[in-house]
This record gives sequence, C-alpha cells and structure tokens, in this order.
Amino acid sequence: MRRPPAITGLHGAGGIRIVTLDWKPVSWATVVDHYAVYADGALIGKTVYPHFVHRGLDFTGVTRSYSVVTVDAAGNRSAHSSSAAVANLTSVTISGTPVATVGRFDGKGSELALSPKGYAEYPTRFPSDVDYTFGTSTPAADWSYLLPGPADKWAGTKNHRATFRFDLPAVPEQDLDLALWLIDSHASLAASALLTINGTEAGRLTFANGATKGSTIADSTYPGSPLKPSYLERPLPKALFRQGQNTLELFKDQGSWIAYDALGVFARR
Amino acid sequence: MVKGLQIEELLRKNMAELARGTEPPVPSRRTFLQLTGLSAASVTLGIAAPATADATPVRPIPDGAFALGVASGDPRPDGFVLWTRLAPTPLAVDGHGGMPAGEVPVQWEVAEDSRFRNVVRRGLAIASPDLAHAVHPEVRGLRPGREYFYRFRVGTQVSPVGRTKTLPTYGEQFTFATASCQAWYHGYFAAHRDIARRAPDAVFFLGDYIYEYGIVAGDNLWRAGVTVGPEHGVEIETLEQYRLRYSLFKTDPHLQAAHAVAPWFLVWDDHEVQNNYGAANSLYGVPPELFVHRRAVAYRAYYENAPLALDSLPQGPDGRIYRRYDIGSLARVHLLDTRQYRDPLPVDEADRVSEQRTIMGKEQETWLYDGLRGSRAPWNIVAGGVVLSAVTDDRTEQWDGYPANRRRVLEAMGGAGTSVMLTGDIHRHVASELKLDFADLASRTVGVELVCSSVGSNGDGTDTDAYEKDWLQHPYMKLYNARRGYVHSTMTRSELTTEFVNFPYIQADANAQPNVVARFRTPVADPRLEAL
Repeated sequence: MRRPPAITGLHGAGGIRIVTLDWKPVSWATVVDHYAVYADGALIGKTVYPHFVHRGLDFTGVTRSYSVVTVDAAGNRSAHSSSAAVANLTSVTISGTPVATVGRFDGKGSELALSPKGYAEYPTRFPSDVDYTFGTSTPAADWSYLLPGPADKWAGTKNHRATFRFDLPAVPEQDLDLALWLIDSHASLAASALLTINGTEAGRLTFANGATKGSTIADSTYPGSPLKPSYLERPLPKALFRQGQNTLELFKDQGSWIAYDALGVFARR
Repeated sequence: MVKGLQIEELLRKNMAELARGTEPPVPSRRTFLQLTGLSAASVTLGIAAPATADATPVRPIPDGAFALGVASGDPRPDGFVLWTRLAPTPLAVDGHGGMPAGEVPVQWEVAEDSRFRNVVRRGLAIASPDLAHAVHPEVRGLRPGREYFYRFRVGTQVSPVGRTKTLPTYGEQFTFATASCQAWYHGYFAAHRDIARRAPDAVFFLGDYIYEYGIVAGDNLWRAGVTVGPEHGVEIETLEQYRLRYSLFKTDPHLQAAHAVAPWFLVWDDHEVQNNYGAANSLYGVPPELFVHRRAVAYRAYYENAPLALDSLPQGPDGRIYRRYDIGSLARVHLLDTRQYRDPLPVDEADRVSEQRTIMGKEQETWLYDGLRGSRAPWNIVAGGVVLSAVTDDRTEQWDGYPANRRRVLEAMGGAGTSVMLTGDIHRHVASELKLDFADLASRTVGVELVCSSVGSNGDGTDTDAYEKDWLQHPYMKLYNARRGYVHSTMTRSELTTEFVNFPYIQADANAQPNVVARFRTPVADPRLEAL
C-alpha cells in the first residue's frame, strides 16, 4: 500500500457565494481516481480536475482553510496538501444600500416577464428590446427574464439591449456598485455584454457559463435544481452619474442568452 | 521515471512468457522488479502473475465475485484476451465492487469443451485494486479457427463459462453481430439476448457502451421496474463514478450473455467520456487543459471493463484502441478511433471542407491506408463510431463534418478489397452503399455501410421518424428504421448477407421477439445492397 503524492500549488480566489480553487495536478505516473477537496477539515467535494469551485456559500464573506487529498486508482489516499486560506466575497446586496433594483435577489427569475419559458415570445413582446424605468415599470411586464444574444436564433440572431433607467437625487459621493445576478446562462456561450452608463462605456461584463436550463426553469434554489447561478458585481465610478435620470445599458453583442435573477445599483454605506 | 511505452514493452515480453504457462526462463518477481525498476503496483496489470505467485487468496473473497460476468476479445489465430472483474458488490459506491483493497490471484483455464474435460491452457493473473480488480490474461498457443471455453476461479468461487473462438487462418465463412449505444436506463437488452442465442463468431461493439448522464427516475429512467440510488443520478466525472457506471450497465444478464458467447471487437464513441467530445474538447465548457484529466479516467475505466489487450491500456490521457485483425485471408478488420484525434467542430463552411481536416488524425489515417493497401483479402471490415456515408452537411459530428478525410478513406477503400463499414451512434438502422464520391452518384460503389441501431438508447422507438427524409433522400441509402436492435452478418468469400434485426419494444421487459426488418446480399465482386 503506497500513498500517492499530494498536490502542490493550491491557491484560491473568492467570488460572490463561491471560492474557486486551482492547483498543480500530480503527474500522469499516478493514476488518479479523483481529488477530494476539504474546507476546514470537512469534505466538500470530489473532482477529477485540478480545479474546484466551492459553491453555495453565504453572501457574507468567511475565510476558510482549504486542502486537497489525492485518491489514486487503487483507492489509496495521499496526505492532505498544504492548505490555502481563502475568503468568499461579501455581496454589495449585503454591504450596500439599494438605489434601484429590478427583480428580487433570491435565486429565482419567476417575477420577471416571460418567465419561466416564454423566450419564443421575446421578439413580439420586446420588439425594441427592454427599456425599463425604475419606479414606473414593473418586472412582470417590462423586464424580460432572458437577455438574448446574437447567437440566439429565436431572438433573430442579432445583438440585444436592456436599458435600465433610474433617478438619483444628487451625484453620489462615493462610487456605486452594480449587482447582476443570474439564475443561469448558456452552458458554453454565455460570453459577455457591453456595459454603458449614461452613454459612456463602462467596461465589458463577462458571464460565467451556466447549464442552458434557465430558459425553461425559473428556480435555482430547490435541491437538485439543474441551474447554474452566477453573480456579477462590480464598482461603478461616481463620475459616470448625474443628478436626475441615469441610464444603465447592457448590450449583448456576444454569445447567447443570460437568465436574470435580479439587477441592481447599490450605494456604499 | 520509466516511460509508459517502455513499461509496456517490458511487460509484454515478460508477461507473454508467463502467460504461456511454460517452463522457460522466467525471472522471479524480485529479479523482474530489479530488471525493470518497476514498482510492484506497475507489475500487477492483471495480465499474468509471477511463477512464484500463490493461487490462493490471502483472505477469502466475498461471495458473488463474478457478478459482472466474463468476456473475451482481441481474438487472434492463436489466442485471445480473457476478461473478468471481481465485484461481489458490483454497485459499491467507491467503484471497487466490494473488493478488499489487496491483490487477489485469479486462476483461468481454457478448454476445448464446455465441460472442461480437455483443458489446453491454464494460468494465473493478479487482480489488483489499481485496475478495479479486473484481469486481462492474454492466452496464446491455441489452434486457429476453433471454439474454446474458458472460466475463472478465485478461491473456491468459479465463474460462469464463456465461449470464444480463435480467428481462422483461411476463413471460409465468418459470422458477426454489430451493436452499439446501450443506454441501460432506456430499456432492456433484448438485442444482447438474441445475439447470445445466435452465437456469432464475433461481436462488434461500436461505441456508447456506457452513457455519462445522471440517471433519474421520472426523467431518463425508462427501464421499467428498476430503481437506482442517488449516486447514479449525477453526470459521472471521477474514476469511481465511471467504474460504477460500467458496473451498473454490466449487471445486465443479457449483456453478460453476449459477452460470454463470442469474442468482442470494441471501439469507443463519445459517451464513454462525454457527449460529443472530440480530442481534448468538451462541448460543456470544460477547458482542454482540464478535460484531459477526465478523459484519462474515462479511458482507464473503459480499459478496465473491456476484454482489451495490454497495448490498449491508457497512458495518462491517451489510449490506443485503433487496431487491426486478419480473419484469415477472408477479411481484414480495421477498428477505428474517431474521437481521440478529431479536429474540433468546423467554425464555418470553409473550415468544414478544408483539405487539412481530419476525424482520424494523421497517424491513424496513414495506418488505415497502409492497412487497406497491404491486404490481399477480398473484404475489409472497417468499424468506427460514427456514420461515414454522406447525409447532410450539418451533421458535423459524424463524417459529414470531415469530408476531406472521408474522400481520402473512400479512395483508399477503392484501391482495396470490398469494404464493409460498420458504424452506430445514430440509434437507427441504416444501410448505405459507399460511393467513391458521394457527390457523383455515377461513381463506383466501393462497399457498403451497415449502421446498427441502438441496443437501448432512445427506448422503444418507432419504425420511422422525422429524420428519415434526411437519409432516404439519397439513392445510395437503402434502409432507415428507428427501432432498437442489432445487425447480423454472414460473410463468405463470395458474398455478405446481412440481417437488420429490431424489436417491437424494449422498455417494458427483455422478452420482445426479434423481427428481421431488412435483409441484404452484397456480392464481393459487385458491391451493392441487394434486398432479399
């Protein structure tokens, strides 16, 4: 009985509700059955890849100690690898104050227009794409549950736009934060969208690939839900904003659809 | 570190000696280890055992060690590979089949009669946990073209008896069944039951031996009256999960019976790893540098669960399964791997029709063309995972996505004996005449393609469906049927007769009666599909 080698180079990065771990695999001389991944000493998953995403974490950041055990083809287990301390991020939906939102940040898209599977009606319900004004528009009528992309034949194989308008009583004193949560996205073509604030390009939002199920299923929270939710949060420089009406625009000029959980702009406390 | 290839060479040389069961200079285990510098774990590949090995297990093995049956494959004129995998608790979640962690000696014997009165070869192989206690003894020194019977023994337990055949040196007649796509959860294996009844000279299995998908009641579990635990409900990824999936499928008694009745020629298609993967490319967002790790365990589990020779043991993420056999001077068999070396899906039409594109990889292409050119046999049997014939340009996952490679293959076939292409993948029976140039209907017919439907995948099925017109629009396509089944062929030196067999249902039970949906004759001198 011989112990296989432990992996080296374990490192991680925190995201919203997730921690992403990567490491250097053992050489091919060891036939690996899987890597067993531990957080604070408890088994959290098995993977055959030198990569693991710890999912389902809270929205508030917590630092955990991660380690990996190599299990070989004979079932022999290595010692624990050197550990890595990694914290998930705290969401701006927890740390900030909502300024303007559409949808609830709850892992479900059911409160949005056309949910759970009305995507085929998108071209007739939103012939000029989505244009939503916070305070007067309603999610169930005016905010489509999917933002299609140019790869979507059902939406005309063209670029699509979602415009979100909201008022600010004054130019903010600190940067604001964007929270864009998805219940799911296309499994390989989630791609990206261009973000524009008041006509100024504010960068490209790259989406995590999902499970291509959120076009027909609205709930990512029930046990065994096939959806792969993801969370995108990023700062929005205060200089982009003005008193009165502001316009945030997502321009999906790459890939296929994303399925919203909710979108919001948050102020820092 | 000793390179994989060197290990193979050394082992092959030494194990061949050991497997012969003769006296000659066999190094002791210690000498052997010193000579090769190998670890004890590397030696125990389940091919043979050192001469000094004890045939009695150190500890008793739990009852039912042969629950996954027995098999043979890699037939040659003088022998074959035998297979079994000890698994007293086949569905143990760790993939080790309920076996204790240690090495276990497995005895085997080969006889000329089913009652083992005339045993002609005996040997010992070491089953080790590295290979999930699978053994692959390579038997040599037998007589060509005849039936043999084999069985294993571990401790006091004796396996079921298997029947197999060596390949002939001349070859008056050769009978074979072709099967593919056995989604266990979609139905029962009436096709395997009937293959076992007919006891052909060989069985070709053309891929999708397992499926990687989670098996979930109320979703894809259509096999009536069975339930599976939650460990089967997720897409498989680790070696223990792939091993467990093979165990689940292999518990089917009719699959075991078909294995035990004849030597199998096996190739893999995509679902032995993941739906529609190609080379290191996953369609599900796993980057290539990660995906190779999944391919490595998937190929490993495939080897562990199939009667394959040692040269098919994967090294890391690579496994060579394309190989060649001669059915005497009657036919040359070329088994293809159209997954591991294929170019990615075409990005556009110019890419699709590019001269450079290959589904086989350069090395395998050269190997095939040399093999076709080098045979004097009247027939070539070429077996692969996906359909060769031209159907529609958007079927880019089969050879329609690789037209330049197809043209090169058809030209090579045109310069050799008549070709019989065996493929599966589509869960439909299709019979096609292979045109030298599918775009020119007046071009020569260089052979036929027999596409077998699935054993299980897609459940009961119907005689026809919406895809039929895609296929039968072509005058060279002579059959389309969308029920489950298998194909049985009889090859002589002058002609091939083929029966496409299907079943009225498969989901309710395994008792459906076979129905011959079409029968064709193909003269070797004038290849075509003549309906009988």
